[in-house]
Amino acid sequence: MPRLYTFLKYFFVVLWACFVIAPFLWAISTSFKDFNSVTGGATYIPWLQFEPTLDGWSVLFKPGSQGGINIIGPYFNSIFVTLTASLISIVLGTLAAYALSRYTFKAGIVKNNDITFFFISQRIMPPVVLSIPFFIFLSSLGLLDSLAGLILVYIVLLMPIAVWIMVDFFNRVPREIDETALIDGCNPFQAFFKVVLPNSVPGMLVAGLFCIIFGWIDFFFAFILTFTKVQLLPVKIVALNSSITPWWSLSAAALVSVAPLIIVAFIVERYLSKGNLSGALK
Amino acid sequence: MAKIILDNIAHTYEPNANNPIFALKEMSLSWADGGRYALLGPSGCGKTTMLNIMSGLVRPSHGKVFFEEREVTSMITEDRNIAQVFQFPVIYGTMTVYENLAFPLKCRQFPEDQIERKVREVAEILNLQDYLSNRAKGLTADQKQLISLGRGLVREDVAAILMDEPLTVIDPDLKFRLRRKLKEINDKYKTTLIYVTHDQNEAMTFADNIIVMDQGEVVQAGSPKDLFERPQTTFVGYFIGSPAMNLYKCSASSQNEISIGAKAFKVKTNINSNSDNLKLGIRSEYITVESEHSDNSLEADVIEVEDFGNYKLITASFDSLKIKAKVKRELDIPSEKVILKLPAEHCCIYENNKLI
Repeated sequence: MPRLYTFLKYFFVVLWACFVIAPFLWAISTSFKDFNSVTGGATYIPWLQFEPTLDGWSVLFKPGSQGGINIIGPYFNSIFVTLTASLISIVLGTLAAYALSRYTFKAGIVKNNDITFFFISQRIMPPVVLSIPFFIFLSSLGLLDSLAGLILVYIVLLMPIAVWIMVDFFNRVPREIDETALIDGCNPFQAFFKVVLPNSVPGMLVAGLFCIIFGWIDFFFAFILTFTKVQLLPVKIVALNSSITPWWSLSAAALVSVAPLIIVAFIVERYLSKGNLSGALK
Repeated sequence: MAKIILDNIAHTYEPNANNPIFALKEMSLSWADGGRYALLGPSGCGKTTMLNIMSGLVRPSHGKVFFEEREVTSMITEDRNIAQVFQFPVIYGTMTVYENLAFPLKCRQFPEDQIERKVREVAEILNLQDYLSNRAKGLTADQKQLISLGRGLVREDVAAILMDEPLTVIDPDLKFRLRRKLKEINDKYKTTLIYVTHDQNEAMTFADNIIVMDQGEVVQAGSPKDLFERPQTTFVGYFIGSPAMNLYKCSASSQNEISIGAKAFKVKTNINSNSDNLKLGIRSEYITVESEHSDNSLEADVIEVEDFGNYKLITASFDSLKIKAKVKRELDIPSEKVILKLPAEHCCIYENNKLI
């Protein structure tokens, strides 16, 4: 019986792994094909079933004058905007979350939970509802089609994620930790920075991962709020589309654009399952 | 170090409610400098609230707190120079054991050599000297609690060390040794120790003075002997001692005599009350087994005799009341009927659950 259980367990794990990896393998294979290999029926194995070519990849790096899209600029724009917005969101979100977790706020009928919900409600609204206010807002600040404007908007979009994750995280961090720090001689700021914050790195990493994912994959606002001066990766990749869908270069672009997320996920993965203060109390 | 005075202190966690529930009802209490106290009571009786008021984590809704002459009611925790150890170990997981122990001294900017000397001294007392460079997070629960305790002990100048059931997670043998160590520390440094527990044995063996609390009130404060022999309320009689005090409803038949049903018992208390809420209380330790009837004796049916190794516990019934008597192990107990004597000098009489 245990042997059957082990077999079934591994069987389903392998099945699930294939399910997850298959699209990547498909994209890798397609990215090395040309028009004929893609349209001439399903083929999988390079050299055996089709002749690999770097055409799909080279389009990504060639300038527009040579028929390419040159994603290098937008790639770094995306990295810069995502990282900056995520970092600011984590810093502000962590401070807001700590205050919401530890102190009681009351303004009329508005209490802590309502404030937390207010943050999260920014994510409940469909993006299209926010697009016009954001457009007018950035336009009045003269920040349309700029990296700073995008960072500002992304902070608004990412901070709710950080607050949401960190409030829950801090709620699970025993208050006794803060109280012990106060007793040991810290003031509330020192207690937060010296004791609570170093213990909160796992939660911040998890919140950071989600901020990076949601910031990186955004197409809608990057599309609406930028024109020609500044472009982010998702918008640039969509520009690949033409009357004939270039599956090979789209596959290559998909792989290039997903690579940073995979790297970040690998780094943060071990904190995802234990994103708490295990061992701090009890 | 200082004498701590709680002056008409009361606390409610819902000050704006119409009928607030008081976690701590109005009381005044003082803790002598260098004293060793136990705060004893069932869970939820207000012990932790009282500690938190002393350490400044909770600001009392009524009354004042003084350290000697100085009023500290609104003084913030870090300025009070109090050490507090919580029930469950609180460690700074990202720091080493050494850094954990040194933290309270570093926060108060003690010189480095003094920090090192004190940390090593405390680590030795707590048997943590081999773990000083280890990360605190990887230690066992009782080692972590030792670190919490250690952080309370590194400062010699604290006004008091408040311990909120600190040995709950420690195994019994180490618990015993640590209690002894704490006593030694109290003797050596004359630091006021206030030890919260709901374990009466822990309280009795640790403290010179025990404060018993129930439902937010101090019901009795005194030495272990006072609490055992003259419980001021039936609650203390019931809560202190194992088994609990025998308590029976009774009526006064004369000034020094009470009756339980038809049976009369002489007592040393002068009863000047016709209250219908009188109770007789007697510790099972003071009830003796007799071979023949005399004053204050009664004949009871033996229900059970339990042998606890160092004593026997007789459970008998008298007039449908249960009576427990703790007697020497060597004593032969009749299997059916037993004559038990309730010595008058050990009978406590309670009116409305308060000792007369």
